[in-house]
Amino acid sequence: MTETVTWTCTGCALLCEDIQVSIGDNRIEQVEHACIKGRARILGCNEKAIPTVNGVNAKIDDAIKDAARILMEAKNPLLYGWSNSTNEAQMAGIELARTLGCVIDSTSSFCQGITINEILNGTIPTCTLDEVREKADVMVFWGADPMSSHPRHMSKYSYFPRGELRQRGYEDDRTAISIDVWQSRTAKICKNGFHRIPPGKDIEFMRGLIDALSGRVPKLSFDYDVKRILELAATLKKAEFGVIFAGLGLVYSIKEDIALLSEFMSALNQFCSFSLIPMAGHFNMRGFNHNLHEKTGHIYRVKFDDGGAISGVKYSVIEQIKSGADAVLVVGSDPIASLPVSISRRLKDIPIILIDPCMNLTSQVADVTIPCSTSGIEVGGTAVRMDGKNMDITSLVQGDNMSDEMIIRRIIEEVE
Amino acid sequence: MTSAMEIYQLLPKTNCKECGESTCMAFDVALLSGTKRFTECPPLMNEDKYSDSKQKLEEILKPLEGAEETGLIIHEELCSGCGNCVVACPVNVANDSHGSGRGLGPTNNKVIFRVVDGKVKAANVKECRRFGKDKILCRACIDPCPTEAIEFV
Amino acid sequence: MAVNVGKFIRSPEYDITVVTYRDVFQSFACEEDRNGKECEQLSAVIVLDATEMKHMGVQDGANVKLTSKWGSIVVKAVFSPREEQKGIGFMVNSLWSNALVSDETTDGIPEFKNIKVKIKVSNETIISNKEILSS
Repeated sequence: MTETVTWTCTGCALLCEDIQVSIGDNRIEQVEHACIKGRARILGCNEKAIPTVNGVNAKIDDAIKDAARILMEAKNPLLYGWSNSTNEAQMAGIELARTLGCVIDSTSSFCQGITINEILNGTIPTCTLDEVREKADVMVFWGADPMSSHPRHMSKYSYFPRGELRQRGYEDDRTAISIDVWQSRTAKICKNGFHRIPPGKDIEFMRGLIDALSGRVPKLSFDYDVKRILELAATLKKAEFGVIFAGLGLVYSIKEDIALLSEFMSALNQFCSFSLIPMAGHFNMRGFNHNLHEKTGHIYRVKFDDGGAISGVKYSVIEQIKSGADAVLVVGSDPIASLPVSISRRLKDIPIILIDPCMNLTSQVADVTIPCSTSGIEVGGTAVRMDGKNMDITSLVQGDNMSDEMIIRRIIEEVE
Repeated sequence: MTSAMEIYQLLPKTNCKECGESTCMAFDVALLSGTKRFTECPPLMNEDKYSDSKQKLEEILKPLEGAEETGLIIHEELCSGCGNCVVACPVNVANDSHGSGRGLGPTNNKVIFRVVDGKVKAANVKECRRFGKDKILCRACIDPCPTEAIEFV
Repeated sequence: MAVNVGKFIRSPEYDITVVTYRDVFQSFACEEDRNGKECEQLSAVIVLDATEMKHMGVQDGANVKLTSKWGSIVVKAVFSPREEQKGIGFMVNSLWSNALVSDETTDGIPEFKNIKVKIKVSNETIISNKEILSS
C-alpha cells in the first residue's frame, strides 16, 4: 500500500518542508516538489558503506571498539565533519570531544563559519527566510549562485514567491542583484542587476559601495563604470527590507577582513533595513555552529582541555591535519574529496575512522569504516536551516544501520 | 529554437505533393505545428540522396516530438527542479495562490507546472496564456529558468 | 632540436587565475557515482573566454595542463558561451580543481577561488580521481 507523507528535505540547508513523498513497502516511489539535489539525497548512494577494520570486512561492534581504541591511543585526535548530521548527533560529537579532551571542527571551518560567527556574536544583523519571502524587496546574491547550490532558494523564498508585503510578485515588487565574477545561473535571472567584478576584488567593491552609500565617488583599481556603483548604492538605499545572501565567493574573498562586512551592513542600515543570510551548504552545517556555540561560546575549531574549551586557527581542520592530529574521526563528510589535494595527501597518512552511510573517497583510505543511517531519510531529529531556524527532520524509511548519534554514543561508552 | 527555414532547407524542395501538402513549404509548416511527421515525405524516406538531410531532420525534430499543442517543450535533462517556473507561471499562481503562488509545491491539480522526481512536468497546458482566444506571448516560465530547460516552438 | 623548439612555440604557457564554482548537475552526477565517467566528464573541465582561448591557440575541447605552485592537472578546456573576463578560467569545485589548491593558509581557509596557474595545451590524458590521489 502506498502512502504519501510530507517530508523535510535534507538535500541542502534550505530544508524544504513541503516535499510530498509516496512510500510503498518501505520503498520510496515518487517525490514531488524536491529539486534534483533533494532527489539525489533520497535516491542515496550507489555504494553503501560496510563495516571495515584495516580495509577488511568486520562486525560493527568490532569496528566501534577499534574506533574507540584508535581515539584513546591518539595523543591529539580530531573529530571532523558534522554538517550532514542531526543536532542530536552533533551534540553527541561535542560530548565525545569533551570526553577525549580533543579538537572538534566542522566543514564550516572553510565554508560559512566566519559569517555565522559574526551572526551568532551579534555583529551582523540577520533575518529568516520566511521574512525574506513576506517582506524582502531588494536581495543581493554576493558571490552566491543559489541556482547551482540551493535550487529552490529563489522560487521558495527570495525572489519569485508572492509574500505578504510583496503581493505583485517578483516583476514589480522585488529587485534581485548579483555581484559575481561571471554571469552565473542566478546572475542570468538578475538580468541588469548583475555586476561583474574581477576575482578577489570583493573587498574593494564593498569599500566602493560604502563610499557610494555616503555620497562619495568610489575609486576602484579595476575598470568599472562608477555610475553603475552609484546606481546600485541608490537601489540598496531605497530598500524597505533588504537582504544580502553571502556566498562562498564573498566569504573566500573577505576572510580576515570580515570586520568590513559588519561595517558594510552598518553603512547600509544607516539608510535602510538590511540583513545577511549565509548560504550554508550542507543541511545542518549551521546546526553544528549553534550547538558548539551553546556549549562552549565558540562556533568551530575548538579544543577541549582541562575542562575548558579554546578556539583558534590552530584548531582548524586544515591546520590540524597539517600539524597536530594523529587520528581523525570523520562523520558524514568526504574530506579526501573536498580538501585541497595537498592536504588530503597528508590526511591519508593519519589513521582515519569514517562514520558515513556511503562509500566515498575517504572510505577508500579509512582504517575503520562504520556505516550509519542517512539523516533525514532513515533517521529523524532536528536541524538548523541556513537562516538559523530550528527544523524537525523526519525519517522516511527503515534503514539497516544505527544512527551516527547512536554510534558516537557507543564510542563514548567505550572510551569512558 | 528550430526555425522554419532551417527545416525547409533540408526538405527535397520539389513540391511533389506526395505528402498531401501542396508545397514543401506547406509541409514544413505542418511539421512545425506537429500535424505531420517527416516520415510522411516519401522522397525523403526512400531516396538515398536525401539520407543526410533525413538524419539531420531527425535530430532537429526530435525535441518537437515531445511538444504540447501550445508548442511547450521541457528539456528534462537540463532541468534542476528549482521550481522557478512553478512559482512564476501566472496560471499556477491564479489556480493555486496559497501553494505555488507562495513558493510552495502545488497543492492542487489545476496547475500547469509541478516538479516530480526532481524534474518539472507540465499538465493542463491548454490553460497556458499562449493558448486560446486571448493568447499572449507569455514568457513567465522561460525567463526565470536558469538552465534554458523550457522552450516554446 | 628544431622540433623541440617548435613544440615549445606551439604550446606556450599563459598565466591565468582559476576561479572555482558549484554546479548542480555535476554535484548530482558525483553524488550518484563519485568514480563514474559522468562525474569525471563534468568535473575535469576549465571554461575560458572563447576569444582568449583562440589567442592562446587552445581549441574548444582540447586538453590543457594547469600547473600551480601546489600541483598540476590535465583537464578539458571549453569555450564559455558568453564573453568572460580575460585571464580567468572557471572550474567546477572537484578533486580536479582541488589538485591546484594551496595548503598554506593564515586563517584556516585554503584559497579555493583565486588560484594562480599556468595553462598550456597538452596531449596528456585526463586522469581519474583515484589516480589524482595516488599521484
